[in-house]
Amino acid sequence: MSRYVVKFYKEGVLRYISHLDLLRLFKRSFKREEIRLQYSQGFNPHPKMSFAQPLSLGYSSSGEYLEFETTQPYPVEEIKEKMNLILPEGIGILSCSELPDSGKTLAAMTDAADYEISIPCAEERGVDINQLVEAYLTQIEIIVLKHQRKSGKDVELDIKPMIHDLKGFVDRNSIMLKCKISAGSTANLSPELLLSSFCSHSLIPYERTEVTIKRTEIYFTG
Amino acid sequence: MVLTNQLDKLLMKVEKPGRYTGGEWNSVTKDLSGIKTRFGFAFPDTYEIGMSYLGLQIIYHILNKEDSVFCERVFAPASDMEALMREEKLPLFTLETKSPVKDLDILGFTLQYELSFSNLINMLDLSGIPVKSNQRTEADPFIAAGGPCAFNPEPLADIVDFFMLGDGEEILPEVCKAHENWKESGTEKEEFLKTLVQIPGIYVPRFYKPVYREDGTIESIERTYEKAPVHVEKRIVEDLNTVDFPEHCIVPFIDTVHDRAVVEIFRGCTRGCRFCQAGMIYRPVRERSKDKIKEISLSQIESTGHEELTILSLSTSDHSEIEPLVQELMGVCRENNVSLSLPSLRLDSFSFKVLEEIQGYKKSGLTFAPEAGTQRLRDVINKSITDNDIYHAMEKAIELGWSNIKLYFMVGLPTETFEDLDGIAEIARNITDLNYRITGKRGRFNVTISVSNFVPKAHTPFQWFPQDTADLFHKKHQYLKDKLKSMKGVTFQYHGTEVSYMEAVFARGDRRLADTLIKAVELGCKFDGWREHFNYGLWIKALEETGIDPDFYACRERAYEEILPWDLIDSGVTKEFLLEENQNAIKGSQSVDCRRGCIGCGINQRVNCTMEGTL
Ligand code: SF4
Repeated sequence: MSRYVVKFYKEGVLRYISHLDLLRLFKRSFKREEIRLQYSQGFNPHPKMSFAQPLSLGYSSSGEYLEFETTQPYPVEEIKEKMNLILPEGIGILSCSELPDSGKTLAAMTDAADYEISIPCAEERGVDINQLVEAYLTQIEIIVLKHQRKSGKDVELDIKPMIHDLKGFVDRNSIMLKCKISAGSTANLSPELLLSSFCSHSLIPYERTEVTIKRTEIYFTG
Repeated sequence: MVLTNQLDKLLMKVEKPGRYTGGEWNSVTKDLSGIKTRFGFAFPDTYEIGMSYLGLQIIYHILNKEDSVFCERVFAPASDMEALMREEKLPLFTLETKSPVKDLDILGFTLQYELSFSNLINMLDLSGIPVKSNQRTEADPFIAAGGPCAFNPEPLADIVDFFMLGDGEEILPEVCKAHENWKESGTEKEEFLKTLVQIPGIYVPRFYKPVYREDGTIESIERTYEKAPVHVEKRIVEDLNTVDFPEHCIVPFIDTVHDRAVVEIFRGCTRGCRFCQAGMIYRPVRERSKDKIKEISLSQIESTGHEELTILSLSTSDHSEIEPLVQELMGVCRENNVSLSLPSLRLDSFSFKVLEEIQGYKKSGLTFAPEAGTQRLRDVINKSITDNDIYHAMEKAIELGWSNIKLYFMVGLPTETFEDLDGIAEIARNITDLNYRITGKRGRFNVTISVSNFVPKAHTPFQWFPQDTADLFHKKHQYLKDKLKSMKGVTFQYHGTEVSYMEAVFARGDRRLADTLIKAVELGCKFDGWREHFNYGLWIKALEETGIDPDFYACRERAYEEILPWDLIDSGVTKEFLLEENQNAIKGSQSVDCRRGCIGCGINQRVNCTMEGTL
């Protein structure tokens, strides 16, 4: 049994393919390329394969991670090449490496993630983005309303500790936010929350469907 | 014009955007500059349903093999997407290139069920294409249709430019070739339709004009173009082994109804059930050879990564090599870590052995279709199952540990009485008793009695019979419900009568229904095959507003001499044969399976019947 991780990108039409559908696509790709996955035991065996972090529908990414176990060892270059031969347009393997046999899952080790959020806005607005970011970050607390699925209530939450880094750029007709924020099971900040909180604080109007979000990296600890 | 940017914004807002993206494995892209015919294969339902339909993969493959043809897919958007498209004025588009449907040369719909007609109309509307053929201009694509419902094309006669009858493998490339030639000629659209009628299997409704009597029946059908054939013969592919079958099937990204490798093992059926349209219009039986099936299966598994393989036909067990075939497929599946599913097996000892092997302890439900509750009625419909067969199979099933059994019946069959319904209840009771006798227990065992409502179909021996009225259906359902209620371990399911009634109207409808269909869509009817969307009130309103009496179509007994709207479509089975079979039904006399001897349906005047007398 061997354990690997692939780093991959996801863009174009593949942005609209959900987490579960993507897992199935990987499963089929491994099958077609005859890379034999290790299956779990029990009544309903499934391949041992999981993502570090699910990616929301509609996001693109240049830094996704999938870990999986195989029944036999394969050279990492071979895995990368074989998979890239077969994966459809919009998805591809950037690198592949071996993982220690046992140990924590990537999901458990996920700590933070980088995002690029692009918000279209009128050119003539001439915003000083650096100033807006500074003003936003110098707040003592950054309070957002977070909808709690369980209780169905909105609760106040200070997201400031979860923003590790935030920079703004203006590029022609859009504002680009680059950020590193908490991700994973201990603390997780959705870029959606940062987007709405920043824009309402900075008085930037936007249409959600016009905003594009791209994850560019995931960081692990432990 | 390609709609990608506009589309992107909508996709952020809709449920299951993966329905609209295309780009799946084995989907085709082509350089448009070399393309002479842009063909849209339109499925009048959602992506998930359309992608589960084997015919789509066959036609897509056959057409895209041609260098000068590019076949793209078009599906009906779900309601949320449609609302956004209308709001943003985004026309219906193809999945492959996101082109407006209006840019295509030919838009070909497959008609799998009558209640999808409303979606066809709605899709034209969403494309910005006038619904009625006489309102379309030279700039609009040709609207075509095929599939089983094309065997009574008349309700769509004012809407569709041409129909393709029978097997599509040969006729579709011929149509595209003719289109290419016509395009080069630079003549008007009408000229293309005039050349098309020379291709066997093409029906161009505008070249025919029915004349009606005062009572609403047809007095005659006149031709308005002398070269249009008097009868349109369906196309028949003589040898399935010589036509291409898709080995590189499109693999959807998202979950669809059936997401698996599938090989058609034969077309047609020798059994001759009198209610069954498929059994009549797909004659004769043509088998794909065992080796070919194996070869295709393997290659499909390799090119798709699917985890399930299934074989398709009207009656799996009737393949002449079924036992070795299944054995060998089980081997293929085992080697490739793929599960095998075998639909519509006859429950004989071989099937049980196979089911044991492929399902083991994970037994799914067992289904069985006696269709009628008494031997008398089964003789009427020519369903060659005896009570003995039923109990024998059930006994075996129970012994092997099946505890969930589902039996399919029809109500409203010609000559049916309440005694036949008693027969259904008796079968249910006998099976639960059988289970008690064998297992000594009553619990943990369920028999589901599922009844559908009989809908008389064109080109069947039952095409002259009236459908039961809604009242009678209700009475029959209630009667069965009362009888079955008290039985422990018996579940009763039945279908709504309103859907079956509308189906009956359109299954044997004529041209005068086109306006009704258009009206219904205007009123908001769509996705009528979906229980949650079907709106009976709107249909009744549409019928009333267009002055149509639905009972004329659904509940009227036709005289044998009557000219039927679909008489000009020649399925290869003669009207004399249907008539004879109709009379045999009334007499309650069974006819034999073609494999026991030919009963003269007429199809062998066109092609060879290889299955004749083989049992
Ligand atoms: S011609 Fe005879 S053998 Fe052939 S399908 Fe018809 S009835 Fe059956």
